[in-house]
Amino acid sequence: MATTPRTAAIVGGNRIPFARSNSRYAQASNQDMLTATLDGLVARFGLQGQQVGEVVAGAVLKHARDFNLTREAVLGSRLSASTPAYDVQQACGTGLEAAVLVANKIALGQIESGIAGGTDTTSDAPLAVNEDLRRVLIRLNSATTLGDRLKALRGLRPGQLAPEIPRNAEPRTGLAMGDHAAITAKEWEIGREEQDELTVRSHQNLAAAYDRGFFDDLVTPYLGLSRDQNLRPDSSMEKLAKLAPVFGTGDPAATMTAGNSTPLTDGASAVLLASDEWAAERGLPVLAHLVDAQTAAVDYVHGGEGLLMAPAYAVPVLLARQGLTLQDFDFYEIHEAFASTVLATMKAWEDPGFCKERLGLDAPLGAIDRSKLNVNGSSLAAGHPFAATGGRIIATLAKMLHEAGPGRRGLISICAAGGQGVVAILES
Amino acid sequence: MATTVLEAAPSMPALLARAALTARGRGGALPEDRVARRGVVVDPAEVAAYARVCRFPLADTLPATYPHVLAFPLQVALMTDRAFPLALPGLVHVRNRIEVLRPIGAGEALDLEVRAERFARHRSGATVDLCASVSAGGAEVWRARSTYLARGATAPEGAPEADVDVEIADLGPGTITWRVPADAGRRYAAVSGDVNPIHLSGLSAKAFGFKRAIAHGMWVKARALAALTGRLPEALTVDVGFRRPLFLPSTVTLASGQRGSGWDVAVRNATAGTEHLVGRIRPL
Repeated sequence: MATTPRTAAIVGGNRIPFARSNSRYAQASNQDMLTATLDGLVARFGLQGQQVGEVVAGAVLKHARDFNLTREAVLGSRLSASTPAYDVQQACGTGLEAAVLVANKIALGQIESGIAGGTDTTSDAPLAVNEDLRRVLIRLNSATTLGDRLKALRGLRPGQLAPEIPRNAEPRTGLAMGDHAAITAKEWEIGREEQDELTVRSHQNLAAAYDRGFFDDLVTPYLGLSRDQNLRPDSSMEKLAKLAPVFGTGDPAATMTAGNSTPLTDGASAVLLASDEWAAERGLPVLAHLVDAQTAAVDYVHGGEGLLMAPAYAVPVLLARQGLTLQDFDFYEIHEAFASTVLATMKAWEDPGFCKERLGLDAPLGAIDRSKLNVNGSSLAAGHPFAATGGRIIATLAKMLHEAGPGRRGLISICAAGGQGVVAILES
Repeated sequence: MATTVLEAAPSMPALLARAALTARGRGGALPEDRVARRGVVVDPAEVAAYARVCRFPLADTLPATYPHVLAFPLQVALMTDRAFPLALPGLVHVRNRIEVLRPIGAGEALDLEVRAERFARHRSGATVDLCASVSAGGAEVWRARSTYLARGATAPEGAPEADVDVEIADLGPGTITWRVPADAGRRYAAVSGDVNPIHLSGLSAKAFGFKRAIAHGMWVKARALAALTGRLPEALTVDVGFRRPLFLPSTVTLASGQRGSGWDVAVRNATAGTEHLVGRIRPL
């Protein structure tokens, strides 16, 4: 029998405050933000000039020139230039998936330390030339005779000047992610009021965490911002009630507003993982260990499942493998893509029909204690620069578990575009 | 000694026009006057544009060369004053030394002061140093010395010998290749305010005796420094000598060699190998 691999330690994290789209970070590229975030992590843990085993990060909205984004950021950072790096992309699951990849290599003894991260900007977005123009240009480029060139140029139309703008929409359904979430919200009868309540709590929890200094060793100010720009400490049910629905608006009973949905944001995050020995040799703390992780995917195109419901499927697989129940956790970090997504996921776990028919379980997973959910705020308040969210959550949860003492357990659940989900367990 | 405190950065096109009109009939000793600005806070959008042109990452601290952009208009104001002994047109920037005492936060209020000193004898004329000092909260954080050569000019009696040579140890061929486009001068002019016509177009450069437009030396310096991002000490001296002009467009290489915790660098023409810039970067 194979020996049980060791589990990777989470030493700490760093991120820049998240900014609203086209605002404070409008001039910053993904590479700028990732480099600044890595340098902040380097400064925090004394890694100047040092080589770590691997740096793994990614961006969801990525320019073609950024094919080697993470390696380029490493070369521009204070890490040793001999630190290898590679990019990953799993939509909103990118940051957590990057950490799982680093943790697995540490578990197998292939590396002793690694950095996982993510960055995304919706401001410095990769506009592409119009698809028709692109085809004309490719034909023009490959034409060898004047006649062929002229023939290619005849395909030019003024309308082709309009660029292709990346949209937060599913290529196969043409629906915005929010519109997909609205379908799920309706299916699970998630009300406007409970969504707004979750939103207010997210803002209040994040504001309180900032106020008591919880983020002092997790966040480094960048370009004049020292807190997440989307955070509204004075958010209230009354204010949120005034907002008009923006998703699923074909339905007069639509519930999803700009308040209870995460806005487009810019930012980056990074997490330092290591073997216990590597951390001990350097006198660095071990906040928690990444115990296990699981991904899942659902057929939201033809299969009748909701786009963002994959974590509901991933969690029971992870629990079964670890011999745990859904109630065996001290903290739950369920990524708030939309308030309704969190609520629908929890409702699904409580639903005997869903758990039996879709998950193949004898009994529902049951309810979770709401007072343990996203206790230091989540994406509704902080914002959600797609690939940066995983790193934000891992570092936050690892610190919470460390503060709570040894043997504490936390569950991370992140839904992602393409009907995917990444979930993981951390333990102090 | 008098210090003129300006409320805002002076207009560079106006100063350059004035310099051309008042070029004749200059002479005498260097004035001891200083030009200053107080409480200058940089515009983040301008820093971002500068960083993009020079290839610095967008960070919370200013690029090491950026304060030069703030100080340069004051230096030009000093040099176009009637009391300044040398005519600005024809002055050639031959050496630039920057000392960063500590990284400067992008939001800090900065006090700038410039002065001229060291009128010196040179084998082909005379040199003068334009010095700049930047302080924050009463403490100096950055200083620089730009040495200009006036060909055919005569330094006063008893002037010291010019100090223009920057020596570096042998460097291999550079692996970093820059294709410097024809509009590199216009791009740097737009973000630095240095609209000297010799950098802007072939035609305007010809009017000043250059066969083509030439790149700004301070752009070459900035870009060389940006290429070493992440590998530099926080407090440092960057001392460069500007050798042959970099005509636009050109393909050049950057060679770098580590010297302790500092670097020697050279920017050379990619085919001919002629040196445009040699530099020494050392911890302070």
